[in-house]
Amino acid sequence: MREMTDWIRKAGLLLLAGAVLGGCATSASVAVEGTFPTVVSKPRDIHAVIVMDEAFRNYQALPLKNVDIRFGSAQVDLWGKAFRGLFEQVEVVFSRSEAPSGADLVITPSVQEVQLSTPNQSYLNVYEVWIKYRLDVETPDGVPIDSWFLPAYGKTPDSALMSRSRAIEDATVVALRDAGAKLILDFFRIPAIHVWMEQRLASTES
Amino acid sequence: MKYGSFIAISAALAMGGCGSTTTIDDYRPTTEPIEIQSHEKVAVLGRRDAGHYETDTSFIQCLGNQLNGLHFQVVSEHEFIDALYPWFEPRTAPKGIKRLTQLMGDEAVKAKVRAEGIRYLVWLDGEVESAGHAGTMSCGIGPTGGGCFGYASWDKNVFFEAVVWDLDDLTEEARIRVDSEGTSYVIGIVAPIPLISPVKSQACEGMGSKLRSYFSKEVG
Repeated sequence: MREMTDWIRKAGLLLLAGAVLGGCATSASVAVEGTFPTVVSKPRDIHAVIVMDEAFRNYQALPLKNVDIRFGSAQVDLWGKAFRGLFEQVEVVFSRSEAPSGADLVITPSVQEVQLSTPNQSYLNVYEVWIKYRLDVETPDGVPIDSWFLPAYGKTPDSALMSRSRAIEDATVVALRDAGAKLILDFFRIPAIHVWMEQRLASTES
Repeated sequence: MKYGSFIAISAALAMGGCGSTTTIDDYRPTTEPIEIQSHEKVAVLGRRDAGHYETDTSFIQCLGNQLNGLHFQVVSEHEFIDALYPWFEPRTAPKGIKRLTQLMGDEAVKAKVRAEGIRYLVWLDGEVESAGHAGTMSCGIGPTGGGCFGYASWDKNVFFEAVVWDLDDLTEEARIRVDSEGTSYVIGIVAPIPLISPVKSQACEGMGSKLRSYFSKEVG
């Protein structure tokens, strides 16, 4: 009977040690599935085509060894809503060849880089995510207007008592929201877009 | 009997040591209560733009709970920033009345604020800091059992500031600053016995009570 009790106690300790070590695992596979709120903004009278290809829709970032973040569907939702806050008419297509000729602008967003900072690296109790986007803006005829780099940043308020995956997901969602905010705030301030808007206005007046 | 008295005296000393000091300073341009109708709402938000800290989410929720039960509705931070996306994100949130006035000049934003019925914003900024760690405690576990022995203490300082903005008049209605400090202990006598100083809850109650007194008048 005593042997049996000892065995149960040892098994319990092994299980506890396993659980603790499991909690310290450094690999994470994170899928960001969230949807984003509708943008509060008065869209301008522009017909824009947004090209979101397969690579963009299924985007998977590998910011660290043993960490992957899949946020393709989340960024499709975010960019769709953000562009609808900028332009009155928005069409989302899968490839550049599907863009109709009657549109005013064709925009192709792409992810250039994703970086992740964890408490192990920064000695701060937060997870941080940086996403660098590039937006290629051109006319329907293929004349480039600008390639705009859009950096976005997100962090968790405090990662205490959060799982690693949950913290990375939360920081990514904040970074995506930041990307939407920057787009709404700055898109029409891009000098090349400003010039294009003025030329468009002049051509419609004449 | 002697052992019981020793435990009782130790506990009394420790509990006495857990006391905290809370100071509340407030400023209002008038002594009149803040006018709010029953269909209007108050949103409680935390500042998120500082690099090294973010306003404690649990403190924001606590203050919201303190305002619940009055004659108006309290809107959660999450609900508000989603409804007004992207204008209250860390990158875009107005930091002063000048920027707020500019933002409310946008017809789409103004219409949304009206549609949501939000009349006042309570901006919270601050953090909880721990310092002055002292003492040591060691815990061990083995096949025959485990336990902790020793003593640890630390100081907690809480500082929060609340600023109330009127979204109709685009004015600052009030400013409250609360500072609270106290020392917490953990005594290890086989089991660790935490004696935590309630600095955060006291700061929240102090600030909540002040805010409730401002919003005590119903109009219309």
